[in-house]
Amino acid sequence: MARKKIDESRRDFLKTVGVVASASASLTIAPEARARQALATLGPGEVPVTLTINGRRHQLNVEPRVTLLDAMRTRLEITGQKRVCDRGACGACTVIIEGRTYYSCSMLAIEAQGKNIRTVDGLANGSTLHPVQQAFCDNDGLMCGFCTPGFVMATVALLEKNPNPTPEQAKRALDGNLCRCGTNIGVLKAALAVKGGARG
Amino acid sequence: MDNGSRIPASGSRQVAEVQAPARPPQHEKYPWPEKSRLLGTRVSRIDGPMKVSGRAKYSYDIVRPGMLYGRILRSPHAHARLKSIDASAAEKAPGVKALLITIKPGEKVMFPGEEIGALAAATEQQAADALRMIKVEWEVLPALANVEQAMRPEAPQVFTPANTRRGTAQEDGDLAAGFKSAAFTVEGTYSTQVQTHTSLETHGCVCEWNGDNLTAWVSTQAVHGTREGFAQGLKIPQANVRVITEFMGGGFGSKFGPDMQGLLCARLAKAANAPVKLMLDRKEEHLATGNRPSAFAKVKAGVSADGKLTAFDATTWGTGGAGAGSDYPLPYIYVFPNRRRMHTDVYINSGQQRAMRAPGHPQGCFVTEVLMDELADQVRMDPMEFRLKNLPPLAPNAMWAKYFPMGAERINWKSRHVTGDPTPGPIKRGLGCSANRWGGAGTGARAHCEIASDGSVVMRCGTQDIGTGNRTIMAMVVAETLGLEVPQITIELGDSHHPFAPGSGGSTTAAAVMPAMRVTAGKARDALFERIAPQLGVAATEINIGVGEVHVVSPSTPDSSASGQTASRSGQAPILRRVAWRDACKMLGTVPVSVDGQWERGLSAGGTSGVQFAEVEVDIETGITKVKKIVCVQDCGLVVDLKTAETQCHGGIISGVNYGVFEERILDRNTANMVNPNMEWYHMAGQSDIPEIDVVLVDTPERGVIGIGEPPAVATAAAVANAIRNATGVTLRNIPITPDKLLTELERAGGTN
Repeated sequence: MARKKIDESRRDFLKTVGVVASASASLTIAPEARARQALATLGPGEVPVTLTINGRRHQLNVEPRVTLLDAMRTRLEITGQKRVCDRGACGACTVIIEGRTYYSCSMLAIEAQGKNIRTVDGLANGSTLHPVQQAFCDNDGLMCGFCTPGFVMATVALLEKNPNPTPEQAKRALDGNLCRCGTNIGVLKAALAVKGGARG
Repeated sequence: MDNGSRIPASGSRQVAEVQAPARPPQHEKYPWPEKSRLLGTRVSRIDGPMKVSGRAKYSYDIVRPGMLYGRILRSPHAHARLKSIDASAAEKAPGVKALLITIKPGEKVMFPGEEIGALAAATEQQAADALRMIKVEWEVLPALANVEQAMRPEAPQVFTPANTRRGTAQEDGDLAAGFKSAAFTVEGTYSTQVQTHTSLETHGCVCEWNGDNLTAWVSTQAVHGTREGFAQGLKIPQANVRVITEFMGGGFGSKFGPDMQGLLCARLAKAANAPVKLMLDRKEEHLATGNRPSAFAKVKAGVSADGKLTAFDATTWGTGGAGAGSDYPLPYIYVFPNRRRMHTDVYINSGQQRAMRAPGHPQGCFVTEVLMDELADQVRMDPMEFRLKNLPPLAPNAMWAKYFPMGAERINWKSRHVTGDPTPGPIKRGLGCSANRWGGAGTGARAHCEIASDGSVVMRCGTQDIGTGNRTIMAMVVAETLGLEVPQITIELGDSHHPFAPGSGGSTTAAAVMPAMRVTAGKARDALFERIAPQLGVAATEINIGVGEVHVVSPSTPDSSASGQTASRSGQAPILRRVAWRDACKMLGTVPVSVDGQWERGLSAGGTSGVQFAEVEVDIETGITKVKKIVCVQDCGLVVDLKTAETQCHGGIISGVNYGVFEERILDRNTANMVNPNMEWYHMAGQSDIPEIDVVLVDTPERGVIGIGEPPAVATAAAVANAIRNATGVTLRNIPITPDKLLTELERAGGTN
């Protein structure tokens, strides 16, 4: 079971903000990371964070340890992406940042600043669904719907990069998302039904 | 779980003993239409747009003003006695608003993850921090981490009165005579693993009090049952409790009440005087919210030289965790004229089992079906022919003899080689088959229907849509009955304020709710006719339903509206006048049509049968099995929505693939702690692991509606296991068939060539 690449910056963060970055550890840290280590320590209390989500800027205060997913869900009530495994295995929290999929449970809110974050909540144009969303409905690519926002975002990211994927390519791109109801047949049909990927 | 059927969901009785009537009596007043306009067509889920856009609010998504976050304190030990607990620091921790301890010194915990307290704080982080400040001292006691440990004579007695509970022997026929007439016997020990439900939305709720009244948004399969559970657990009247579940992220049998986390959440909300959200995390979900019991079966079975089963003798056991049962139906489906079976429940220190998608059946199916292939090899028969020879007689709920050849055609069964793929090279291909049965009958749902003067139709029912498509098929039945289109129907469900409906378990929902929809919509239609008849200047019996309109029909024609005939049949009567639906409803004025209805006999049934075929490729160098294709032939009575019914089959099959080759709860043999309480090491199929799936839904409308949620989940693992056996020539008698097990067995057998 292939897994999506987890954003490497969480590890960088641990190295940067962690209070026990020992001398031996720092020897192995890349120069860029070492440079960042010189930055002021954030927290442990709440810090101001600015997030740009679906084109809208949100200012909020969260502890540095709060993930992007939790900041969106509990502070901003942007609840489209779901918290399921909370450790980068299931993909229900998948967001798109600068054209790439990320597990928002495995990225801190403070790291997501200054980036254009897209969630399922911002895909539809009013009551007009994004073609990928429409394809999920038409092909019954959902049951309980809890994995659906993640699958939709992974599919959007795939089609924006590769508008006409082969079934194998589509499967690979969706391998980082898990469904428990077993809607995968409809999901794959949906991903392959949208030609050209982009809106309309 | 009550599957409401005449066919037992568990136990050793065989389907042959209870057979459904060929044509059950039909409902007199509102039978299903002979020709449907909508039923049996492909309709997209009406809540699809809400779910794909993130607008669907699940319990996990509910945010209330001033809401706190709850966390549960759990036992880290499998078996321990509390020495002391000190929560004073946690109580004073930043953000903490309420704290409850539910264990006293001297009391014991029986499994890792058992609830011992809870707290609520302003943020999730503060709740987690405070939880860590609670100092707990334990006297750790000897624990039982698996059935082998629990069954050892020298095992410490952990459970009262004993670590095991022996059932009564179930016997039929003359076992000795059966074995005497056998030309061949097969003996073996078969086993299946413990799996957890792993619903994507974890268990939990948001609780909010208004004085003595509780509103709870709960991830549940039973809004009314959960209301009752809150009332009992909190000792308050049911009238004071409202449970809302507009959307929920999967349950699979594990979500039927408030559970401990729901009651703790409500008590925290009361104590803090603020709404509290308490959703479990993934580890808690694996540990404490149910699982499918393991099953072990030491079997000896006999077959005559001409391929007739003669005898079946099994000693079986399994664990449902700390004090819960583990029985399952065995032998499954096939007729062993002489049989004996003795089951023993074994208790270990792990979370208790709960009903899980067709409880008992995948276990019984796996044991029996693998045995069947081994017996077929003994008599050198094709495994399908062998099955056909030993099936119960054909009946509406026992159609395997008809379905096996249908499935064989679609999987290209004639291309099957005998056990062990002779093709050189590491990739071995194989085919396997198996059969399933289930109940799927339901009763007891009630509903309320309103037709307003603007033509809008609202149907309210306290059922829930747990992802099956219930909402959609409800709208289809109402639309069919009123001659409208699906988008014209508003379905309101998932609220205990709505009329009672049973919990969604045992595949009973469709069979419980669809008759209520048909009857209630039919009554609403009749009430509409009564109300508008004076204005139309005709008798109510002269009005009928068209498509998007009502018809005034010739009074000389038989009373078709009262007999529930819909558009297609009323077309036979001369139509004197057509009135558009909206215009007809306008005649109602300010008082809407408002009627109650309920499930009635003659629109649903129970008892389904199905078969599945699997095609696999096994790489005997890596031990990796690739399930290539599953063929599923399945009936479920009257098919309401062909689209969502097929998806139900896909879902069941994929869960069966997981059961067969991927998922397993693994406990540390020393601590009984789960070592894979997550979703990366608790393996489930990813998109690349999904086989091609070919579903043949056999529509049997004369039987009425029967549930289909569970039946397709039963047979897949067994079919896959038999296909692996056919491919490799080695017999794996336990699932999941992971590469390590397969390589070990291949090594022992010296490969397939």
